[in-house]
Amino acid sequence: MKVAVMSCIHGNYEALNAVLSDIDDQSADKIYCLGDLVGYGPHPNAVVEMIRALDIPTCQGCWDEDIVEGLNSCECSYPSVLAEKRGKQAHEWTDQVIHPEVREFLAQLPLSLRDDNLCFVHGSPHNQHEYLMPEVDAFVALERVLVTGADILFCGHTHVPYVRSLDAGQLQIRVKSTGTTERDVSFSAPLKRIVNAGSVGEPRHGRPNATYVIYNTDADQITLREVEYDYQKTCAAIIDNGLPPIFAWRLARGLEFAERADDPTHVCER
Amino acid sequence: MQPLNITLVAGSIGAGKTTWIQQQVHTTAETVIYLSLDAGETAVDSTYLAAEVPGLTVLSAVQLANFLEHPTDGCVVYLELGFHIDLNSIILPDPMADCRRVAVLPPGTRHTEWHGWADVVVTGAEASITLRQPHLWRSALSGQVLDSASLNTFWYELTNGAYGTIQRAKGIFDVADGRSLYFDFVAGLPETTDMELNLPRWLNGRPDRFSGIEIVGEALGQTAIAQTLKDCCLDEQAIAYYQQQIKDLIEQGEEVA
Ligand SMILES: [Zn+2]
Ligand SMILES: [Zn+2]
Repeated sequence: MKVAVMSCIHGNYEALNAVLSDIDDQSADKIYCLGDLVGYGPHPNAVVEMIRALDIPTCQGCWDEDIVEGLNSCECSYPSVLAEKRGKQAHEWTDQVIHPEVREFLAQLPLSLRDDNLCFVHGSPHNQHEYLMPEVDAFVALERVLVTGADILFCGHTHVPYVRSLDAGQLQIRVKSTGTTERDVSFSAPLKRIVNAGSVGEPRHGRPNATYVIYNTDADQITLREVEYDYQKTCAAIIDNGLPPIFAWRLARGLEFAERADDPTHVCER
Repeated sequence: MQPLNITLVAGSIGAGKTTWIQQQVHTTAETVIYLSLDAGETAVDSTYLAAEVPGLTVLSAVQLANFLEHPTDGCVVYLELGFHIDLNSIILPDPMADCRRVAVLPPGTRHTEWHGWADVVVTGAEASITLRQPHLWRSALSGQVLDSASLNTFWYELTNGAYGTIQRAKGIFDVADGRSLYFDFVAGLPETTDMELNLPRWLNGRPDRFSGIEIVGEALGQTAIAQTLKDCCLDEQAIAYYQQQIKDLIEQGEEVA
């Protein structure tokens, strides 16, 4: 069976369409979406309507949450004051144009999805806003997979696709409980993997192309797909719809609209 | 009294007028006086030279007039003219009538009005693009403190064409940790990293010293540039917060990066 997993569409309808037809060409049996349907891009309503029409199981992304709950993320989730101002502009614009039923749909999205030994989340199992960067400490990474009970954890949010195998074998942790002395606990974990699906609508790999992944369960094989699409159309729509023109400039260069947070594991305790 | 040793320096955008002056200063033992004839409020070059070249005195136009009336012996004076100044329109005060005229031009430049004007033509840096309608945009930012990460993003966008075709850009910015940074870009030349100016860290409120930017380009998105710069600036509260952090580090005797 082939499972297609995509994330971070960010209101980029052109990119979504191109990815959906590539998924069709690859004859995938199932599609999962890891959220961030809206935010920055010019077509949030159309993207959500398409996902709904195709009944694609989707978990809630950080932007989906913020559109529902209101923007109250702390400034630490932005790497710079410029990125924060741009993020707020994008949020306000999206908040204004979004249809009530689209907001309702985003509100009821689950935080994670399970399919046999596969788990799907937006950022990490702990939080939609946590970045699981490829260089995250192996122990932290393994903990994030183990907590789900799955063998493969699919995530998005960083906009950079990657596959990471965690065959740590023997792991040692030091347990410190009050009143007792420290003791070392060892356990072994079977091979676990983290697969980041990249971003459909807002890539940051230096090219405008959309990325997503296909997991072939029979061959146990993961393929990263990079799909070209008419990004100029999205760029034109950004400008026509009154979003900041710099978003179009950055999208065309695969630079993301704003920027990601620098501290890869930082989770805001709001 | 010896005649005044005055050099007028003109030339095209990005050819290296300021760099050439800096080189001359290094090879002279005398006191050097510098003035940029068209800097007005945005004195990027003068601020840069004053901070980086020991023994160099930067004068304003008024100060120059005074100096010419009562010159000090043993001084060399360099006057930098902006590329957009009409050479024929310059009326020099009498004491400067027989000064030396130097034009700094890219290699291979021939038959320009600079050639007719200059006593000496110095070969400067290669110019990679020649704009049909070069436009100069300047903004004074004195008192503003920018967030470094934002500034880097802005500079990357600016020098990669997000706000129009840029031939030359230079700026001096005060950043959150109190340093004053100099940014310099010439189209076609290898990217240079920003450098810290040899000025004290400003850790007490809004800096009372020059910062600003000069851009030469075509089809410049001036409104977007100004807005983005504004979006890079820290508010009062953030400035105080960062300055306190740096002060604490210094108090603890720690090396501040
Ligand atoms: Zn995203
Ligand atoms: Zn996200």
